[in-house]
Amino acid sequence: MLGPARNAEAGGQVAIGVTETIASYNPYADSISMGYAIWCQVYGCIGVYDHNKGDYVGMLAERWEVDKADNNIWTFHLKRGVKRQNDGKEFTAEDLVHSINRINNDPQSKQKQNVSPIKDVIALDNYTVKIVTKQPTASLLEFIFDRVIISAKDLYDKHGARDADRKYPWGWGPYKLKDLVIGQRIVLEKDTSHPNVRPENPDTLIYTIMREPEQRVTALLNNEIQIAQFIPPHLAERVKAASNVELQPASSVEIMFLAMSPKFKPWDNVKLRQAVCYAIDRDLIVKNVLKSQADRLDGPIGPGQYGYDPEYTKKNLIIAYDPAKARELVKASGYNNEPVFLDTPVGRYINDKEVTEAMVPMLNAVGINAKLRTPEWATLWSDVQRGRTPFYYMGRGSVVDPSVALSQYFETGGSPRIGISDPQIDKALAAERVTFDPVERKKALNVAFKAIEDAAPGCFMWRHHMLYGESKGIAHKPNPAGRIFGTEITVK
Amino acid sequence: MENSATLPANVVGAQRSSRTRRLRGAIRPWLAPKVAAGAVIVLILIIVGLLAHWIAPYDPNVQNLSHALRPPDWLFGSHLLGTDAVGRDILSRLFYGARVSLVIAVMVVIISGVVGIVLGAISGYFAGSTDFLIQKLVEVVWAFPPLLLAIAIMAFLGQGLENLILALVSQRWIAYCRVARGQALSLRTREFVDAARSLGANHTRIILRHIMPNLFPSAVVIGTFSMASAIISEAALSFLGLGVPPEIPTWGSMLADGRTYISTSWWLALFPGLCIFFTVLGINLLGDGLRDILDPRLKRSGSGIG
Amino acid sequence: MLRYLLGRIIATIPVVVLISLLVFLLIHAAPGDPADLLLSEEASPADIADARRRWGLDQPIYIQYLHFLTNIAAGDLGMSFRYADPVIGLIGQRLPATIELAIASLLIAIIIGVPLGVWAGAKPNSWADNLGSVFGFFGISMPSFWLGIMLILIISGYFNWLPSSGRSTYGVAQGLETGFYISHSLLSGNIKVAWDGIKYIIMPAIALGTGMMGLVMRVTRSSVLEIMSEDYVRTARAKGLDESTVLWRHVLRNALVPVITVVGLELGTLLSGSIIVETVFAWPGSGSLLISAIQSRDYPLITGTVLTYTIAFVAINFVIDILYALIDPRIRFGK
Repeated sequence: MLGPARNAEAGGQVAIGVTETIASYNPYADSISMGYAIWCQVYGCIGVYDHNKGDYVGMLAERWEVDKADNNIWTFHLKRGVKRQNDGKEFTAEDLVHSINRINNDPQSKQKQNVSPIKDVIALDNYTVKIVTKQPTASLLEFIFDRVIISAKDLYDKHGARDADRKYPWGWGPYKLKDLVIGQRIVLEKDTSHPNVRPENPDTLIYTIMREPEQRVTALLNNEIQIAQFIPPHLAERVKAASNVELQPASSVEIMFLAMSPKFKPWDNVKLRQAVCYAIDRDLIVKNVLKSQADRLDGPIGPGQYGYDPEYTKKNLIIAYDPAKARELVKASGYNNEPVFLDTPVGRYINDKEVTEAMVPMLNAVGINAKLRTPEWATLWSDVQRGRTPFYYMGRGSVVDPSVALSQYFETGGSPRIGISDPQIDKALAAERVTFDPVERKKALNVAFKAIEDAAPGCFMWRHHMLYGESKGIAHKPNPAGRIFGTEITVK
Repeated sequence: MENSATLPANVVGAQRSSRTRRLRGAIRPWLAPKVAAGAVIVLILIIVGLLAHWIAPYDPNVQNLSHALRPPDWLFGSHLLGTDAVGRDILSRLFYGARVSLVIAVMVVIISGVVGIVLGAISGYFAGSTDFLIQKLVEVVWAFPPLLLAIAIMAFLGQGLENLILALVSQRWIAYCRVARGQALSLRTREFVDAARSLGANHTRIILRHIMPNLFPSAVVIGTFSMASAIISEAALSFLGLGVPPEIPTWGSMLADGRTYISTSWWLALFPGLCIFFTVLGINLLGDGLRDILDPRLKRSGSGIG
Repeated sequence: MLRYLLGRIIATIPVVVLISLLVFLLIHAAPGDPADLLLSEEASPADIADARRRWGLDQPIYIQYLHFLTNIAAGDLGMSFRYADPVIGLIGQRLPATIELAIASLLIAIIIGVPLGVWAGAKPNSWADNLGSVFGFFGISMPSFWLGIMLILIISGYFNWLPSSGRSTYGVAQGLETGFYISHSLLSGNIKVAWDGIKYIIMPAIALGTGMMGLVMRVTRSSVLEIMSEDYVRTARAKGLDESTVLWRHVLRNALVPVITVVGLELGTLLSGSIIVETVFAWPGSGSLLISAIQSRDYPLITGTVLTYTIAFVAINFVIDILYALIDPRIRFGK
């Protein structure tokens, strides 16, 4: 028998095998999904994106509106009577103001990008906050919901950052921080007096770092953990076959794509770039390499992501596998068989090496002299950030509202990662950013999707299924953003 | 020289049989099970590596996505040892991997041998400040825990066959250097060196004629052990993702790839590992046997293994 | 003797300095920017430049190296980019795990290797010798990481006898996870807790110790062989002592000297071998810390950890030299 069998029934303790680790007690020192999930539960967030409802939902904020006259002014009305863990002090506007200031000014902060559209934040009274953006930003909630962690102004002022984070991690969230061993585990304890918790939520959450998928699956099957994050496709059968656990899939919000930078020959030729999109048999790769645990992307986003329009997609955005057409495009582009390299990370995304290995012969078959390279992630990411990688496979995570991601990769001046400059794309993205009406915005986004596909700075591949292994003793519907919240787990 | 024609017959007969006895005596140590087993294994490695192109049933890079992750099929199999995640034949990749391992190991041994012996000979022969500098270099490089220097160099240079060879050579030249230096130091004091110098022989000639030949036995022994450790180190570096680019199949990278699938497709990790193990075993047996024959003095210094 | 000692200590200092320079240059010159890697993928170029400035990366490399040296002289290994905590503390948290693993591997190597070697050496060319030698060669030739993977596959995966990774079970360790888990609990008589730790350490220790075991076996065997033919052994036999007394009391003591030498020389290999074994077993030691630091280009953590390993390595070699000096009367009593 391996270790104490931690049943979910035993004291309502749920252990979770996760892949990422937070680096610090400072809630602003990490910028990974895991960090936001933990600190949102301990300290509290302004709001979260509810994937079931398909809309943003307030957590410490109750409601909000944009000023009709000046689109730069947002007003947030905060929840009243939210009492802090341990001493019961009430959450007020000054804490929100303090948090945003701390994100900008804390030397260890890695979250500045989350508040980058914000020019000013002012507390109008104890429960109202005015946020002024630099430019009209329809997607402001994508930036600050799920990401801006609310920490206490008074504790910070009294004890300083280091002690406040370590000795007084008292927040307005539903779970208290019980134990933190950096790189190994995080333990949270339910705050039974919090309005968001129910008796059937677990009393204790233990997030254990288990990077290797084998490790997670074995631990899950032995009931060492009750939830295993990110089961790779080839282990799915093993989880399905076990009697005490079940496989829970969720569609992820990470889009996988091939990027081609027009700054490098031969990728400056749009026909060659389009050829790549027609040359890859994505369905075959999804079926055989990913074991059908992925959904093909037609256009930059799929169902569940903000702005997806199934009708428009079916009519305008599908690029079917067509090697004959790809060959034609390659010839028409004047490509003279110079060698090109496809760069891919290894082990960063599900089966990244295998899927790109499968792509190379497909490219060769349409006349593109491609070879695979597998640089170390450190090297690859630096080069991509600097715009030095001509052709690569990459994922972009946390794409709920695609505005930010698309701007980053495909707009002129967004970032050096691809470096495309296409006036149609720029026009479309600028337009959707300032469209506040949801119906109009959806249309505007789809126009942008089409413009991106026509210019083909990249080919959109698929979204992986996020497979969670879960003990049958609990009920939990996985969150597509990869966040595991105690309030969403029910111990049976 | 005695002319056998002028000696009485029984003496000649005795001479001949003692010569064959000497001959047999010279060959016998080579037939000891250790050396024989090791030599056979190494020979198989060389043959497989050289003939990979002809004996491999498939092209090692040909993919067949619908035949991915097939288990080994001994009896009727199209794929004797199964296929990997993109449908490539494991057996063929193992054969080509033998070739790569061989190439890497041989290159590493030759280059580190040349560098080490040259530096060691110069160091010992010229002594003085040259010796001091070179020995300081030895100390610094030697002080690195073995794998760390290679990891640091690979992180610095990136993927590539030449980079890998450089990383593997970076510490291995030291064993040769020590031996060569020892020889050179002992030589320095001998009179015939002064005699040779007075006759006008230059340094290079002296080093080549007098130091090199004596180094041969030690170099061979060091070389064989160094080959074994090079193969393991290449596998270790590939395992950590710091090896050769993906289109070159090496046992180490096959092992690294196979590790992800260990519980569902055990053959991916088992066979490359077995190949590494047996190859290294064969080389170690051969090296140990060679050492027994050529240079028993190295037995106790512990410089042979690792 | 004292002068010799001092001389040796002083001689190692420039070596350590040179090594620190080499590591520093290699790591800083390697492609890959820590700011790119450690900040979010959505970070703006301004944020990245900010982080670089904060970490001192915008200064010329010789200035960075000078800072590094002055910090080291003050005993400060810098602040990790990723964890925003002092490097010394981070290494200190992980080092006990590596040390315990190294000790466990050594124990396995010696406990199995020495008796096997004595047995083989005492009866050369017998079946015992052949069996033992086979063991020895297998041990030396086995790649540790492959052995580790196979152990996990069979013992953890198939038979489910032992946990496949980590060091301790939550709830049992009670705050000892980052210390000398097993030693501490054994010393305080807490057998249940110690057993928990032992369950986790067995497989990594076998994977890491097998190579050393083969080596110890081979060296013990040849050492015993040599000594068995020495005069004083013959004398002991002639005095009427039975074979096993001769073996275990007289031969062993002297045979162990070269064994100790070789073990000492190979401790460095054990240290670096532990890096890869820690990766296979997700063992929370300084080796896996180093690998993840390299992957995220956390410069201070990398240089700090490599420096720690190197100093340990140099120190071990130094101690071996001292032991040699103690044994060799020529050095002991001065020239």
